Amino acid sequence: MFKNHIKIAWRSLKKQAFFTFLNTFGLAIGMAGALIISLYIYDELSYDKMFADADRIHRIDADIKFGGAEIKAAESAPPMAGALKRDYSQVESTVRFRTLGSMYVKKVGGETSSKENKVTYADSTFFEFFGIDLLVGNSKTALTGTNSLVLTKTAAEKYFGSTDVLGQDLLLNNSDTYTVTGVIEDMPKNSYFNEYSVFLAMAGNVASREELWGSNNYFTFIKLIPEARVEDFQAPLQGMLERYMLPWAQKYFPGMTAESFAASGNYIRYHTMALTDIHLHSDRNSEMNATSSIQNIYILSFIGLFLIILASVNFMNLSTAHSLKRAKEVGVRKTLGSNKLNLIFQFLTESGLIAFISLIAALLITMITLPFFNGFTGKVITIPFTQPLFWLILLAATIVLGLFSGCYPAFFMSRFTPVKTLKGGASESVGNGRVRNALVIFQFSISVFLIVSTLVVFQQLNYIQSKDLGFTKDQVLLINEISPLGSKTNAFKEEILKMGNVENVTLSDFYPTPSWRSDSSFFQEGASSQESAIQMQTWGVDTDYLKTLQMNIVAGRDFNKQYATDSTAVIINEATLPILNVTAEEALGMRISEEIELENPTYYTVIGVVKDFHFKSLRENIGALGLHVNKTAENMAVRLSGGDYSNSIAEIENKWNEMAPGQPFDYQFMDEAFNTTYEAELKLSQIFFIFTILSIFIACLGLFGLAAFNAEKRTKEIGVRKVLGATVSQISYRLTVDFLKLVGIAILVSLPLGWFAMNKWLEDFSYRIDMGVGVFVLAAVLSIVVAIVTVSYQSIKAAIVNPVKSLRSE
Amino acid sequence: MLLQLNNIFKWVQQGGQRIFLLKDVNLEVEEGEFISIMGPSGSGKSTLLNVIGMLDTFNEGEYEFLSESVHTLKEKYRSNLYKEYIGFVFQSYHLLDELTVEENLEMPLLYKKVKGSERKALVADMLDRFNIVGKKDLFPTQLSGGQQQLVGVARALIGKPKLILADEPTGNLNSQQSEEIMQLFQKLNKEDGVTIIQVTHSEKNAEYGSRIINLLDGRKI
Ligand SMILES: Nc1ncnc2c1ncn2[C@@H]1O[C@H](COP(=O)(O)OP(=O)(O)O)[C@@H](O)[C@H]1O
Ligand SMILES: [Mg+2]
Repeated sequence: MFKNHIKIAWRSLKKQAFFTFLNTFGLAIGMAGALIISLYIYDELSYDKMFADADRIHRIDADIKFGGAEIKAAESAPPMAGALKRDYSQVESTVRFRTLGSMYVKKVGGETSSKENKVTYADSTFFEFFGIDLLVGNSKTALTGTNSLVLTKTAAEKYFGSTDVLGQDLLLNNSDTYTVTGVIEDMPKNSYFNEYSVFLAMAGNVASREELWGSNNYFTFIKLIPEARVEDFQAPLQGMLERYMLPWAQKYFPGMTAESFAASGNYIRYHTMALTDIHLHSDRNSEMNATSSIQNIYILSFIGLFLIILASVNFMNLSTAHSLKRAKEVGVRKTLGSNKLNLIFQFLTESGLIAFISLIAALLITMITLPFFNGFTGKVITIPFTQPLFWLILLAATIVLGLFSGCYPAFFMSRFTPVKTLKGGASESVGNGRVRNALVIFQFSISVFLIVSTLVVFQQLNYIQSKDLGFTKDQVLLINEISPLGSKTNAFKEEILKMGNVENVTLSDFYPTPSWRSDSSFFQEGASSQESAIQMQTWGVDTDYLKTLQMNIVAGRDFNKQYATDSTAVIINEATLPILNVTAEEALGMRISEEIELENPTYYTVIGVVKDFHFKSLRENIGALGLHVNKTAENMAVRLSGGDYSNSIAEIENKWNEMAPGQPFDYQFMDEAFNTTYEAELKLSQIFFIFTILSIFIACLGLFGLAAFNAEKRTKEIGVRKVLGATVSQISYRLTVDFLKLVGIAILVSLPLGWFAMNKWLEDFSYRIDMGVGVFVLAAVLSIVVAIVTVSYQSIKAAIVNPVKSLRSE
Repeated sequence: MLLQLNNIFKWVQQGGQRIFLLKDVNLEVEEGEFISIMGPSGSGKSTLLNVIGMLDTFNEGEYEFLSESVHTLKEKYRSNLYKEYIGFVFQSYHLLDELTVEENLEMPLLYKKVKGSERKALVADMLDRFNIVGKKDLFPTQLSGGQQQLVGVARALIGKPKLILADEPTGNLNSQQSEEIMQLFQKLNKEDGVTIIQVTHSEKNAEYGSRIINLLDGRKI
């Protein structure tokens, strides 16, 4: 019987090629989309699980509030790891990282440096802790000596052409010589240490051995013993505050007690973050590597589910509409002795078959599109063809999908009675299509919802990119790491200033683009209790900084090269005023210092107030900031006037090569640097966009098929109407307007949902758009236009048929 | 006695009014009879045939088939009953277009769960008997109307039914094809003892049968 079912299923699918194509294509697109999303999510969920003992590894995090600023730190003080290991038997081992960002590396005696983007100091326990095997070298001793380093395979091959490099020397940032003591495999792509390529022995970092409880710079990981429960470790961990942190702080703030510390509203709350949770659940201010968020996983899961449901609904719709053609067959089969169950089974076999054909198509589509997807997600996702579990899940999912999609049509069709269907009243048996209409509404609701979401995400991103940031980010060339110029720095600046297209040049510690920076505590003159500490950022800049970046002074004045006293002057931003509790005018002349505990602290005098400019992501509010003059800053920003940039860049690079031969010239445009901050959102918007298009496409396939069947069902009616004098446009209008009503209902359902969901999403941004009516009108119009285009083809086709033909066939 | 209808009424409700399709129909059919039902269009012939074939229900009266009270049976048993004992022949053949002649013949046997080897034998037998061996791999649309109806009759017969119900079996055929089918019916009736009830408009066809039942407005006259 089953063989017979398959045979019949295959033949009837072949006979109805158009219907089969629509059904298979819709299902395949949905499946491919869901498959890609599943692989992506699987990859995201797999982060850091490959390390041995990953379930016992935790990072020490702290929520710190001190002097008005709150910091969510992922780093700990240097002595934290040692103290935890010493004090608690639950702690089996520890490892710390002190990241160094990017570094220029070259072979000793080599010609040119090349940039390693992720370099870090690491404790010697690193390899044993994470269960990492060395390709060459001794895992116990590789990171023990000062000036030893371990490379990844890729890095080793880059500099030496092989991994057999023990004892070779490398020059870092053109100043420090390190000896290679080991080589490891590249860190897994789906790990927190992705792209870290150079690990320096912590022994070379002097500060790592100091009892500095006040500076949080060390990513500290602990491994608990198997018997320990991490929940039980939180209280002991918090004990570090009173045992170490406060006694240390008392040296600088005599008389400070745990009580007075808490009473002033300050706190330090330690807690652990499981290694395997970091990638999706961490909310720290800075990380060793970019992390993602579980929210994106949820959003993607929903989109994946939407796609599958859409495709499945399509299937139901097309199949039940198609049943018009199958009604007679059901009737005949029943008179031949088939019961309902038999028929249900037969129709399920058919949907199962379609599901399997779609699966094959989906796999092909996935294979073709995965490289593009990888391209913009930066992942290396592959289809795990060799894993039995993958096939098992895929087959199971396909069967479930086939059954799920097939069961409604199967039950629907098996109910047909022979008496009715054989009399030719098939269209009666097919019913008034209330369920089908509901399904179309459902599909379009999802599509309209996705259209609204996509539009809002795009608008918000556009808003971010065009927002007045308080400085002008266009036409600014950033030259990073100018330290190789050494004493020639100022000469270089002068040379560039002479160039035709250059308007201004400035040297500074930081650009106003989001990057890793820390706050420090300042104190107003006369106020020395730690309660009155002002947490603010202080950037060293030169006197051309505000001019070059086109920032505005709201009170006081800009730095001036002529005034010697400006070396102890500070320009604060507006956000600092409320903390000082003064107006801009009142702030002028105030004196603040960082070194309040010293005998003769250096005071900085406020000479100006700069209009707030955004230096963090727009998700966050602007914090307190002070600018002071520093002549040894490491970054250069060049403002170009219009014209051909490539000429200017070449000119500057030539000058660089002349003054810093052999050093890489690393530049980027400020607006591009700015955009990388919103990469997560940009990717989200791209993903939204792709899958919105897909879902609309699937919904349209369904609508297209339905319109075709509807037109067919009404062939006779159309024929009669035409004979009676109806015009083509009147008839196409009639056929189209029925579907538009459904789309209209879908719009009414989904617009409020879209509004609600996107409001939630926008809440993440401190600076965000107001969703206007425009988005909703646009979404509505778009979906209506798409529906009209889809349906009208079928409608017009049906309307122009010669009535003599359609009436004769009856 | 093969079957017996006692005071059968069937009606539909239309605009608050009962429209009778069958009115107080009484009928006894012995095994081996060949009955023709006649009457003007809309007089209820098909309805009566469907009731006899258990494809349709009725509102009042009693129906006994081989001493089983059909009106008290659950649907499942009813369908088992007709699957076992009744074969249907239709005016428009109603062959399954996706299946070959051979597969169409095999269909009822599959539903009766007849074993594969036996199925093959029965189908081969039937093809032989109806002289359509050469057509066994063709699809219905590749056959003439007469040939299609031949397959239709063969399909109705393959399950060895006691009763064949034929609703205007020759309605779409020319006179020569009609005669062939009627002669076939007669032969089945005489030689194999199959009971036949057919609906027909043609006096000539009706004469092949042993008894004629006339219907008018759902009532036997
Ligand atoms: N389900 C139904 N609802 C209403 N009227 C019906 C229904 N089925 C049949 N009829 C009517 O009952 C009458 C008898 O139909 P039918 O048995 O098909 O007639 P015949 O086969 O003799 O031409 C016809 O007038 C037909 O219109
Ligand atoms: Mg009739």
